[in-house]
Amino acid sequence: MFILGQPVSLSHYLVVGAILFVCGIVCMATKRNAIGVLMGVELVLNGAAVNFVAFSCPFLRADSHLALGLDGHLITLFIIVLAAAEAAVALAIALCYYNTHATIDVDEGDELKG
Amino acid sequence: MINWHTLFFFLFAIPTCLFAVAVVVSANVVRMAVCLIASLACVAGLYFLAAADFVGAMQLMIYVGGTLVLLVFGVMLTGQGGYASMKITSTNWLMAGLSGGALLILLLGCAALSVDAWSPKTVAQSAPTAEAEPTVAPLGMGLLGIRVDRLSQPEATLQSGMSGYFLPFEIVSVHLLVVLIGAAYLARTRRRREAEDSA
Amino acid sequence: MELATLLPLLLLLAWLLPLASFTVIVFAGPRLGRAGHKAGYIATGAIGTSLVLSLIALGSWLWHHPIVSTHHDEAAVHGEADRHGETGNHEEHETPEAHGEHASPVHFTDDWYTLAEFGSLKLTIGYYIDALTLGMFVMVSLIATCIHVYSFGYMHEELEDVTDPLASTSSGKPLVRAGRFHRFYQYLSLFCFSMLGLVVAGNIAMVFVFWELVGICSYLLIGFYIERKSASNAANKAFIVNRVGDFGMIIGLMVLFGGLGTFAFGDIEDANGTVHPGIFSQVRPDENGRELTVPDGLVRMAAASQMDSIYESMPSAEEAEIQIAQRITELRKHNTGYWLLILAGLGIFCGCVGKSAQFPLHVWLPDAMEGPTPVSALIHAATMVAAGVYLVGRFYPVFAPEVLLVIAYVGCATLFMAATIAITATDIKRVLAYSTVSQLGYMMFSLGVGGWAAGLFHLFTHAFFKSLLFLCSGSVIHACHTNEMPEMGGLRKKMPWTAWTMLAGCLAISGAGIPLLYGLSGFHSKDSILAQAFSFGQRSPSQAWLFWVAAAGAAITAFYMFRLWFMTFAGKPRNQRVYDHAHESPASMYVPLVILAFFAVTAGWPVPGLNLPGLLEQARPVGTAEGFPGSVEIASLVVPAEHLSHLDAVHRPVSMIASGAAVTGFLIAVLFYLVRVFNPETVRRALWPVHAFLIHKWFFDELYDLVFVKPTLLLAQVAGALDRLVIDRLADGSARFCVAVARIDDLIDRLVVDRIVNGLGRLTYGFGQRLRPLQSGLLRQYVVMIAVSTVALFLLIFFYRNMTLLP
Repeated sequence: MFILGQPVSLSHYLVVGAILFVCGIVCMATKRNAIGVLMGVELVLNGAAVNFVAFSCPFLRADSHLALGLDGHLITLFIIVLAAAEAAVALAIALCYYNTHATIDVDEGDELKG
Repeated sequence: MINWHTLFFFLFAIPTCLFAVAVVVSANVVRMAVCLIASLACVAGLYFLAAADFVGAMQLMIYVGGTLVLLVFGVMLTGQGGYASMKITSTNWLMAGLSGGALLILLLGCAALSVDAWSPKTVAQSAPTAEAEPTVAPLGMGLLGIRVDRLSQPEATLQSGMSGYFLPFEIVSVHLLVVLIGAAYLARTRRRREAEDSA
Repeated sequence: MELATLLPLLLLLAWLLPLASFTVIVFAGPRLGRAGHKAGYIATGAIGTSLVLSLIALGSWLWHHPIVSTHHDEAAVHGEADRHGETGNHEEHETPEAHGEHASPVHFTDDWYTLAEFGSLKLTIGYYIDALTLGMFVMVSLIATCIHVYSFGYMHEELEDVTDPLASTSSGKPLVRAGRFHRFYQYLSLFCFSMLGLVVAGNIAMVFVFWELVGICSYLLIGFYIERKSASNAANKAFIVNRVGDFGMIIGLMVLFGGLGTFAFGDIEDANGTVHPGIFSQVRPDENGRELTVPDGLVRMAAASQMDSIYESMPSAEEAEIQIAQRITELRKHNTGYWLLILAGLGIFCGCVGKSAQFPLHVWLPDAMEGPTPVSALIHAATMVAAGVYLVGRFYPVFAPEVLLVIAYVGCATLFMAATIAITATDIKRVLAYSTVSQLGYMMFSLGVGGWAAGLFHLFTHAFFKSLLFLCSGSVIHACHTNEMPEMGGLRKKMPWTAWTMLAGCLAISGAGIPLLYGLSGFHSKDSILAQAFSFGQRSPSQAWLFWVAAAGAAITAFYMFRLWFMTFAGKPRNQRVYDHAHESPASMYVPLVILAFFAVTAGWPVPGLNLPGLLEQARPVGTAEGFPGSVEIASLVVPAEHLSHLDAVHRPVSMIASGAAVTGFLIAVLFYLVRVFNPETVRRALWPVHAFLIHKWFFDELYDLVFVKPTLLLAQVAGALDRLVIDRLADGSARFCVAVARIDDLIDRLVVDRIVNGLGRLTYGFGQRLRPLQSGLLRQYVVMIAVSTVALFLLIFFYRNMTLLP
């Protein structure tokens, strides 16, 4: 089946969202740089935002009357805003961490281990 | 026959995924930042394709224009070399890959590809062909508490959802203010500490 | 001012002044000048003022009641021609009717203050003032004043720290202690207060209270040198022996109160004008001619069961009372309740035996000489020990003839026994102590044979000459620092004042005088005692031997007194060191000696208008002027009236016999100790059994030790063994049992409970330790965990849903 001949469906978007999400998770799990971890978080948030946008669009699905419509857009907007806020705070935390530990390596910050 | 919409979708979706993977595999934080910008910009394209013009615009403006600049600032403020030492072991890679792969399989199997109504076949048979309308004005009214898209909703279940987003909007506004003040406070601590040390 | 209001006021003041002095010294004692020496001035000032007040009281009494009556007979005996005419008159006085008007002596009695009232039991502070009270007041305060002054000299050592050679610390060194000058005067003041209270007391309960107070003062002062073992023992002995007597006294008090319902001596008119009859008027009611009568209350007490049955048989209380009154009259004819009267009298006398150191409770008085000598003079010679005699005299109307016979026997035994012991004693104070016991025996004897005035007369004269003798001996001890007469000798050159005043005292106690004429005080009082004894022997022939014992006692008295004087002051010094050290005492000591010597010489003189027997006659107890004509239990017993002994037929031979006895004793003493015709040593060896018997004081201490002390100790040892062997073991066993149970408990605790708790703790701790690595603090690891957990959760839900939803 020719993949380009078929219409774009919700599944396409969900696959993209899942890939972004898993990339974000793996990014968080593998980066020792605090900024890298922060980027993983951004990826995860974007994965979620993609899903919301996809679900709000009526053309991408057969049961279009169940589409979220404007609600999905608004929630996505809130996600973007909160991601911005999170980025600001997380960066401030990263700076603070750097000031106290003289490094940005998150593995060094294990003072609270059991 | 090539469905143009699908083509454009893949034009944006494949870079998105590739740049995301590039962020994961890249060791250089500056390179990661660049890939991330690219990935997020492609996501904005996907938004446009899903008829979310205002959200896509916001994605570009806030993320690409704001958040990522902030990230680059962070990279520059903290970047004093020593990236080479931040390699991780292959065991960690293996663990992260296994868990990420399992999660991906789970998401794909259980969510993305499990519902028939979401598959391309059913969409091709029943998708409406109405034109997409601009969403800026309805979104603005929604944030002010009025849902113009639901005024003629005949179903009672959907009408009952006809509440605006005025309160969340206000809450998010205050939230942002608090976050900015908090971030500024946190970022200021270094100077104070230095002053204390010098004293 | 009315005499009835003036006298109580004066005596109250005189009585309370020493109490005030005591209170001041108690609270301010050591701060009164250096070493508290100003306490002496306070105490002396108080008692001196008391003396002045009592003299004023006596003077105003004599102003209102001059001594004229009933003394003519004695004056006649002494050959005062102008009074001879009246000797005949007393024949008329012998009849009861004629004596009726004199029967109740002039007295004032009332209550000052009611302490407490419990139903019919009323405890009051009251007074009973008659001539006897006044005489005692003057005597006590006079001697006390002299002794207060004397003590300034005698106790001056107490002004500094005292090194007591007779007491040692536990390390064996002589004890050094702070001086106790103020405390001495504090005790003296308390004693004066107590003694005056005892004298002025208006009821027997108050007497008892002050009786015990003088007892405690005596105890405190005997134990003044408390660090000496002998002193504390003597104090305890005095106190305990007195308790024996007081036990009897309490029985007497209970009988009297139970029968008569009152403690008061005289009739007391209360605020409503009701007269409450006292003990005297109940025992000697007017309607029975003031004969000794068993009071209604005692009859009812003796026949209580009969009275109860009358009450039960009669319909109303009034009729029952009438019946009872009739029955009492009947019963009284059969002398029902008479034995209760005897019991009451014996009980009261029992207390007097203890206090006045009569046989068989005399053992404490010689040991009481451990106290300072002024104390011996004041308390253990002149006043407190005489209080027993005073109480017998005060209670005279209550005594039945049988009781009087017992008193006479006890007094007679005491006077003879103590006199014989005094012969062999070598301690100067002990000689005087036994002499005191002997003289107290004379007084008791006199009261027992009916010589009321004679006995109390002797009390007064004895108080003067015996306190004089004690103070002289104190002066000697002060100079020689020893009590032992064999260490002294020839001291009259060194201390003339002491020697000659003491000679006066010896002469007084021996009864020196020109027979039938004037003599020293002891001459008059002892003559009247012996005369009464002789008169008693005439009326009750079976008791005539008592007189001869008393006469022999007089001879022995003269002997041991002059033995004492010769050994101390005459001859050559036996111990040169003591002799060299001796010196005359300071003026504060010999001036009181001179004053007392004056009274010792003159107190008995029958001066018209101012003599002791006349004063005492004014206080003669109600109904006793006639003696005791008949006795219920002993048919032959007749106690004659006292004035019969003043008859020439009695008095002349007795006076000669008494003087002869005294001269005999004196001559024997001269032969033994002055001209040394006989060597006392050879006589002692020849009569060694007698000497041993006397030197051991008739073995009384040994006897009491054997009869009372040893069995008590044995009993205590048995009880102690019982304690150790049974009770202690029981207690120890239960304790051991408890310990064993506790050990088992401990084992259970440690092996079971502790292990469970510790195991639980260790388990939790180990689990925590296992969990520790999980919280690695690594951010990335947490992310992986979240991812894995999410996957696991999804799989779990997925399989769960499939398993439940699938058919």
